[in-house]
Amino acid sequence: MIRVLCSLLLAFALVGLALSQEPGTRVPSVTMAPVGKIQVRAGSTANVEMDFRIGSEFHINSNKPHSELLIPTTLKLNATDALPVVTVKYPVGQDMSFPFAPNEKLSVYSGDFTITAVVKVAAKATTGNYPVSGELRFQACDRSACYPPRSIPVKFEVTVAGR
Amino acid sequence: MFVAIIAMLATGKYLDRIHRHGAPELVGDVRGITAPNFDLATLDGQRVKLSDYRGKAVLLNFWATWCGPCKVEMPWFVDLQKKYGNDGLVILGIAMDDSETPKIAQFASEMGVNYPVLLGTDKVSEEYGNVEFLPTSFYIDRDGRIVGKGTGLLGRSEIEQNVRKALASPVAGMNKAQTSPTQSNDAKVPAIAQ
Repeated sequence: MIRVLCSLLLAFALVGLALSQEPGTRVPSVTMAPVGKIQVRAGSTANVEMDFRIGSEFHINSNKPHSELLIPTTLKLNATDALPVVTVKYPVGQDMSFPFAPNEKLSVYSGDFTITAVVKVAAKATTGNYPVSGELRFQACDRSACYPPRSIPVKFEVTVAGR
Repeated sequence: MFVAIIAMLATGKYLDRIHRHGAPELVGDVRGITAPNFDLATLDGQRVKLSDYRGKAVLLNFWATWCGPCKVEMPWFVDLQKKYGNDGLVILGIAMDDSETPKIAQFASEMGVNYPVLLGTDKVSEEYGNVEFLPTSFYIDRDGRIVGKGTGLLGRSEIEQNVRKALASPVAGMNKAQTSPTQSNDAKVPAIAQ
């Protein structure tokens, strides 16, 4: 009786695991490392480096993919009057070929990459901490399939010191 | 004990999926399950239901213009539509793009697509097991049952094998003559170039 019960449980476990690991349930991960302390004086600018890591086996389009059909990686930050974002600098993508298009070079990011936002603190900004938030939008593929575009939240804090 | 815990978690996860949506989703082995019907717009604004094609074998391909691997399969689908169209094969492409319809139409035209392209919705994606992995194809027999599913880029021979499987099954309660494409309801559905 116990053997039968154990066999049934094992069968359930195997079926369940097979269901949960079905292709198409994997989600490409892009994660952001915490941004270190950023201290800047009112009226000056600061470079904020944001480090991202793409899960192994996946790649995402760079900010300037070679085809207009491809969805570029973009960073949108919610700027404020006190802390406007001057510019966002994206790394240059790697030109790579994949088995699904061996004769085509795609401009992609894989592994780790860094995006730099240049923020300018308003001259009249008072001292204190200014949280900045936004989102990174990307579209990932692996060697044989692609996933719909996704976004992850991005946040960091800028501390404005006195003049 | 460990096995029992895994079993309960796994079974619970599956049951949760069923309870959330009222009917079993297309997860795991989907063969033998009746393909969910849908009512979607074509690129030129016509409405198409899967049930319009009962009596035909259907290759339902979820794709997007931004999906590189999907582009690889499309010329194969064009060939297969030509090769098996007279035998009763219908290929339906479901575009899961956010792009504007004219852009999808232009892309399909450039790829020489000779089968209807429908505009996908979240609902149809959900009903087909939350299609997140493109390309994903379902092979549906003449009786509306799924006989195969392919996720990611498959080889052409594997796709053709699934197509043949879908074509091989007769419609329940109908003889071969009744399943002939010449007697199907083609007039009501978008034309397919042979």
